Amino acid sequence: MTSAKATEQIQQRTPGATAKPVVRIIDLHKSFGKLEVLKGVNIEVDRGEVVVVLGPSGSGKSTMLRCINLLEKPTSGQIWFEDTCLTAPKVDVNKVREHIGMVFQQFNLFPHLSAKKNVMLAQTQVLKRSKADAERIAVEQLTRVGLAERVDYKPSQLSGGQQQRVAIARALAMDPHVMLFDEATSALDPELVRDVLDVMKDLARQGTTMIVVTHEMGFARDVADRVIFMEGGVVVEEGTPEAVFDHPQHQRTKEFLGHIS
Amino acid sequence: MRLFSKPLFKFFLFALVLATLSALLSPPQADALTVSSTTAQPNSTSSNSSAVIGGTPTRITWEGTVDKGEQVKSLDLVFPAGCSLADGADVKVTVLHGLDRMAYLEQDQLDAQHVSVDFAKAVPSGMLIRVEVHEISLPNVAGDYQLETNYTDANGKSAALGPTQNITVQTVSWSDQLSDWLSQQGWVQAWNSVLFLNIFFNPVQIVASLPQLFFGWLRSLGIVLIGFPIIAIPIGLLVSFLRMSKLKVLRFISSIYVNLIRGTPLFLQIYIFFFGLPYLGINIPNYVLSFLVMGLNSSAYLAEIFRGGIESINKGQFEAAASLGMSRMQTMFRVIIPQTVRRVIPTATSEFILLYKDTSLLAAVGVMEQMMFAKNIVASTGNMTPYIVSALYYLVVTLPLTRFSRNMEKRLADGEGGNEAKEKKHRLRALFTRKQEVAA
Ligand SMILES: Nc1ncnc2c1ncn2[C@@H]1O[C@H](COP(=O)(O)OP(=O)(O)OP(=O)(O)O)[C@@H](O)[C@H]1O
Ligand SMILES: [Mg+2]
Repeated sequence: MTSAKATEQIQQRTPGATAKPVVRIIDLHKSFGKLEVLKGVNIEVDRGEVVVVLGPSGSGKSTMLRCINLLEKPTSGQIWFEDTCLTAPKVDVNKVREHIGMVFQQFNLFPHLSAKKNVMLAQTQVLKRSKADAERIAVEQLTRVGLAERVDYKPSQLSGGQQQRVAIARALAMDPHVMLFDEATSALDPELVRDVLDVMKDLARQGTTMIVVTHEMGFARDVADRVIFMEGGVVVEEGTPEAVFDHPQHQRTKEFLGHIS
Repeated sequence: MRLFSKPLFKFFLFALVLATLSALLSPPQADALTVSSTTAQPNSTSSNSSAVIGGTPTRITWEGTVDKGEQVKSLDLVFPAGCSLADGADVKVTVLHGLDRMAYLEQDQLDAQHVSVDFAKAVPSGMLIRVEVHEISLPNVAGDYQLETNYTDANGKSAALGPTQNITVQTVSWSDQLSDWLSQQGWVQAWNSVLFLNIFFNPVQIVASLPQLFFGWLRSLGIVLIGFPIIAIPIGLLVSFLRMSKLKVLRFISSIYVNLIRGTPLFLQIYIFFFGLPYLGINIPNYVLSFLVMGLNSSAYLAEIFRGGIESINKGQFEAAASLGMSRMQTMFRVIIPQTVRRVIPTATSEFILLYKDTSLLAAVGVMEQMMFAKNIVASTGNMTPYIVSALYYLVVTLPLTRFSRNMEKRLADGEGGNEAKEKKHRLRALFTRKQEVAA
């Protein structure tokens, strides 16, 4: 990506002063049977903002993220995506999901399709793009994540890091308004983590709105506009990376960060 | 134009009408000879056959009676085209009066086209002339053949009798010829002198039943090749969807279907269909019913195979497709089923093999398939060898398919399954490294 183009995208996506948040979570509750996993979560994410969510295992980070594209049905509370209230009845779930990209810990590439076809499928099926357009965009996005040479490889012929980058390209090809990353690097061999993080950093730099659940503290510190610390199904603390990492206010945050680093 | 004067023209017209009338009304001019029979001796080597085989020496017998007031001086019998004479071909002419054999000198001439017999003295009326041609082969093309009879009477007037009675010729297959030849070989006779070998591995029977069973084989294969893809797979897929339906009624109905079919013997199902439907006045041709019963039976097993296949697909696949905005249908047909197909092929192939073997059960209700063919040959020869040959025919299909199924399974295990194993490894390693981080 040339710097000129990157600047252009930043300008496109950087919110004006009056811009509405892309995602707004209001008092979100989610229970699995008797187990209440989310106990009133409130989060707002502005256009172009990179929000990193930290928290111990089981604190409900994934559940929160999956509620945003309705892979989990919220028990109560509201989720707004731009002008749409996702928690309202009769919302067109598929329509909403078109614009919310998600990257999973386990990649979840379609194993029977080549990298390119993985990126093309939803473009042609959901966005009804022509095959030629979809293919052009697929190659573009795969090039963007550094896989120009691997477009015709099957997932099984790719390393974990390459697979995850295909998954990112697949999400990007849908022109998402927000990208959700759920521990995108946790399943990777350590030596492959960097390639994926670099791609994510590029995206952040180019102004992509991102909500990133990760255990990569370095990434959070370098890239995040805002860090959110969750525990026990609630947001315990949030602020700039400097504020949260260097001057955590809450005991639990301190413990967590002390533990980790 | 005075080329034809009017009276002359009238005369011609009259003559024409008269000729036509006489031809139509008056009895035809009597021939001097009545051919009473033309036959060829059965020459098939299969003991129970009365067939006349083409291309193999036989004996043709022609018989004719000299009519009242007539005499026959010479005969010329024309063979059908394509006859040939074997070594020792010969003509034997007999003249009979009642049961008495009369001595009439004659000269005859025989070649592959015809035989001519010239009597020294004309044979008077009431005599039966019998001409036997030995060691002559009829054409080796199945069909009806006739001899043509020409004769001259005592006055030297010759006439032709129309074609004689048909001689029906069957062809010999290469296998009949081969089994003939085999049955005369010393080593085969030695082999067959061992009872066990004779009953189960009789070379003559092997060669003889091989081509006949081929048609049985085709029919059995045809039943599954139609029943499996056209009935079993679509219905199986449909039932598997119903089994996973959100509606309880559909789940209930489909599970009854599956359990009923899988819980009862196919043999019983065949009986119910073949003997039960006619009582309801439903008469479906045997073969159609075969596809139907076999297909429906298999559909229940396939439904479970498909369901298992679909349910074995990682939940992440559904989630990834959903996160891209794909509908349930799109997800099913573009993401899930293509992966299911590959996983399901080995088990579905095994199911196909089972079904193919089970077509043999149809013999019990009289469907002409492989087993029935074999049974019929065994019944007429009293030799078990056709069953062994039948086994070979089944194996020709089942062995390669079994191999294919196993290879496929292995490939899946190496490919996709390996991927899963890799994922597991990753997860473990991720855990491990996180622990390291914690420790650090
Ligand atoms: N589908 C589900 N059914 C029942 N319980 C669930 C389900 N999904 C998650 N949970 C439970 O909800 C809690 C929060 O899970 P979640 O995956 O959101 O945590 P997390 O913060 O993402 O943890 P991790 O860092 O381990 O990914 C856990 O106790 C988990 O066992
Ligand atoms: Mg999680």
